[in-house]
Amino acid sequence: MKRARAIISLVLAAAAFWALDNRHGSFPALGKLLNPFAGFWQNGDRGDAIPKTLTVPGLREEVRVAWDEHRVPHIFARNDHDLFLAQGYVAATLRLWQMDFQSSYTAGRISEVVGAAGLRQDIFTRRFGLPWAAENTIRAFRDDPETREAIEAFTAGVNARIRAIGRKGLPVEYKILDYRPEPWTDLKCALLLKAMAFSLTSYNQDAAMTRMKGWVGRGSVIDTLFPLFSPLVDPVIPPGTPLDFVPVPVPSSGEEGAGEGAGPRAVAAGPPAGESSSGAPGQREFASPGYRTGPDLGSNNWAVGGKLTRDGFPILCNDMHLELSLPAVWYEVQLSAPGINVRGVAFPPAPLVVAGYNEHIAWGFTNGTDDVLDWYDIRFKDDTHSEYLYGGEWRRSEFREEAIKVRGGATVVDRVVTTVHGPIVRWKGEPAFTNMDVPAGAALRWLGHDASNEFATLNALGRAAGYEDYLKALESWVCPGQNFAYADRDGTIAIWHNGKYPLRWKGQGRFVLDGSDPANDWTGWIPHAHVPHVKDPDRGFVSSANQAPTDAAYPYYFGWDYAPYERGARINEILRSARDVTPADMVRMQADVLDIRARAVLPRLLELVRSEAATEGEKKCVEELAGWNFEARAAFIAPTVFREFWNELNRLTWGDETTGEMGRMPWPSSQVMVDQILNHPRGEFFAAADQNGPPFGTFTEVAPKALHAAVEKMERRLGPFGDAWRWGKVKGTEIRHLARIPGFGRKIEADGAGQVIDAISSVWAPSWRMVVELGHEVKAWGNYPGGQSGNPGSKFYEDRVEDWAAGKPYELVFLKSADEPDPRIVGRTVMRGGR
Amino acid sequence: MIAMLVCLLVMLGLQIVTPYWWWVMIVPFAFGAAVATGGWRAIRTGLLSAGLLWLGAGTYFYLTGSHLIATRMARMFGLGKSWPMIAATAAVAALAAGLSGYAGYAVRGLFKKPATKEPS
Repeated sequence: MKRARAIISLVLAAAAFWALDNRHGSFPALGKLLNPFAGFWQNGDRGDAIPKTLTVPGLREEVRVAWDEHRVPHIFARNDHDLFLAQGYVAATLRLWQMDFQSSYTAGRISEVVGAAGLRQDIFTRRFGLPWAAENTIRAFRDDPETREAIEAFTAGVNARIRAIGRKGLPVEYKILDYRPEPWTDLKCALLLKAMAFSLTSYNQDAAMTRMKGWVGRGSVIDTLFPLFSPLVDPVIPPGTPLDFVPVPVPSSGEEGAGEGAGPRAVAAGPPAGESSSGAPGQREFASPGYRTGPDLGSNNWAVGGKLTRDGFPILCNDMHLELSLPAVWYEVQLSAPGINVRGVAFPPAPLVVAGYNEHIAWGFTNGTDDVLDWYDIRFKDDTHSEYLYGGEWRRSEFREEAIKVRGGATVVDRVVTTVHGPIVRWKGEPAFTNMDVPAGAALRWLGHDASNEFATLNALGRAAGYEDYLKALESWVCPGQNFAYADRDGTIAIWHNGKYPLRWKGQGRFVLDGSDPANDWTGWIPHAHVPHVKDPDRGFVSSANQAPTDAAYPYYFGWDYAPYERGARINEILRSARDVTPADMVRMQADVLDIRARAVLPRLLELVRSEAATEGEKKCVEELAGWNFEARAAFIAPTVFREFWNELNRLTWGDETTGEMGRMPWPSSQVMVDQILNHPRGEFFAAADQNGPPFGTFTEVAPKALHAAVEKMERRLGPFGDAWRWGKVKGTEIRHLARIPGFGRKIEADGAGQVIDAISSVWAPSWRMVVELGHEVKAWGNYPGGQSGNPGSKFYEDRVEDWAAGKPYELVFLKSADEPDPRIVGRTVMRGGR
Repeated sequence: MIAMLVCLLVMLGLQIVTPYWWWVMIVPFAFGAAVATGGWRAIRTGLLSAGLLWLGAGTYFYLTGSHLIATRMARMFGLGKSWPMIAATAAVAALAAGLSGYAGYAVRGLFKKPATKEPS
């Protein structure tokens, strides 16, 4: 009896120990987590206290940090090494878990943290080649002494912080997910660059376009619905801007579409019959749609020259739209050492300031949105995939073994096959990846794989004193291509659509290419001086909003799938009539929510549907739209009605064109639809709009049907017309935690929509808004959705969200010296080296 | 009472200098195996000492800057308010410690007779 009792109680105690000491699925290890002495209770806001002194191993001289009221560190060092080491230490103090998690994600190592649930994502990341790309990039870092010093010092600073905090001080996410940080490396900094390159250049519709071509053939349908140069678009570089270079010849493989094919073309020395081919993607294997450039994604920047501003000083504005997350994407920092004094926002896992200003210049980004990713259909000799056809001969494949450690499971080894173009990401018969429409059996050519050193650009921009320095800095930027807006205290404004771009014929790479024909390869690069740019244009301002960089007359091709026209057109519309501009005007403009698409088409739509509204709900909706000022305000109902109406118009218009497998095709972009409504109301695409009913011919008949369907859907989903229909509630903006931990995110009701300047949609939004006036003294205002601290228990975790949602920026503290008195400085830390 | 206090102080010291949660199981187990004069006493001593320790510590940290993180943790666990996190913290420690205290006592029973007198 005693023995049984002892055994049972021991087993129970051991079971309790095991249960409390380990994670179970997504359920945390309760013993560790609830332990008041080392668990989550240690992650309160006591960490917000500012230390007066810190010992940071590796510092050569004393570093001073002044902290302002928003906990922005202003770091003053006596040499570059100490500056970046201190930045690494401070970044890790504020955001260690975020840095670590982002690098693990990009390294394809998320299964080590979350177990088998992360395996498919890790396989995608490894096959896509992000870790391999980062390894290439490290070599470029090491070749540049300044970058090397910055990265190594930053890494040392992060590691000094990791050693200093111990297990009790670990960020709470480590405790919830039950793991610990490993030492920081320069690879992790490089992974950050590749993560951004992936995020900003990996969208593509090549597979979907290839499917479409297979069904409708190349020709007028594709050219009309998915044009290389869209109607209504006001390009980044004003049409007619004279070229200041002599263009180099582009590849002559031809006219648009030459060399493109859904399957391998016949080549001189084709394989014997019966040999395997990956062939064109089979229709049954296609991934679901939704991979096209999201119409809600994008950024804005503009610079207004002194002749348009009240005080005669240039003003630069930038708001970069990224997926909302907590901890916030960015943190603010000022970095100062001999030769550099720069202020702006930085990515936690990397040194330097990404977008910001110094005492002479300011710069800001929008994504270039160019096509630097192509797929090449590969014909392998046999199922071993060891040889493939290229240039009329069999080439040997290269293989890379990717060992993916899985928490709580066996390590998975994935063999990645690489061709002259790049890796095969997905094989025939494999399930689709959730984050990209990958054509089966095709090889990937992506600019992000190439060695590059974008940190050199950021380093040089931080030190730039004028336009020539800015130009020199841009030369080392490769990927992702960006619209670099610029303004300086000398009065110059400019914008460069900057990056490294392959020389291609117009439309090359829009469809999956034949990988056996070397004529389809990227054979050269557009010279840097030839990328689209404009300096001090006559109109007095420069701007970009991810739209096409140029019109069709430009001698080079950069891509076709750019952001819809609305934001860019609205920015230019405002600035064209702007006079006596002040920074406050620019702050208001960043919060502009006028929907020019609605303004363009609603009069016509209302004309058609007003007399057709039958039910009470439809009449109210029509009334709401008729009285709307076209602003996407959270409190309005009209934006909700318009969105649903617009979606139904598209569904009814494109629905019959996209039956069956075609039903998975993306819709054409909004400017194509606006153009159809305004300029082709009896056009072919409105005919036979309802596949299940009799054809009803014209847009006159489509519009009322769309209204009926829209109102019916909204009533079903939201109940009767009323408060639940308000845009802020329906849009449901959410700032989610990076690891999607419930309770660690934030929901808000905010004005804005994807197609307006203040592009706050449900999960994408301006991640950093900045207005910089380049006067005698540089003044700037900015804000972002989140807070400086990555600690969910800190007061500074999400303290800026309300003001950000309301479009309120803060004047940014920009110190000349560490000891400069400023009432907004709330504490100072002295860092010294030591052991 | 003294035994409970001694256990509590020993656990407090060990938890301050090390990051390990499981002292709230080890110490009661050791008490049960070495000192406890009865099963219920072993359970009660472990349960009260660890429960009170984590209750007190949780309350202290809650009142001195950890209420925000407690609120978020409560949301993570689907609880409406933050104070149940203090209760959960105390309950986990108490249950684990009570169980291990009894296990210690039961194991000792295999090797020798229970002590006739417990220091108090």
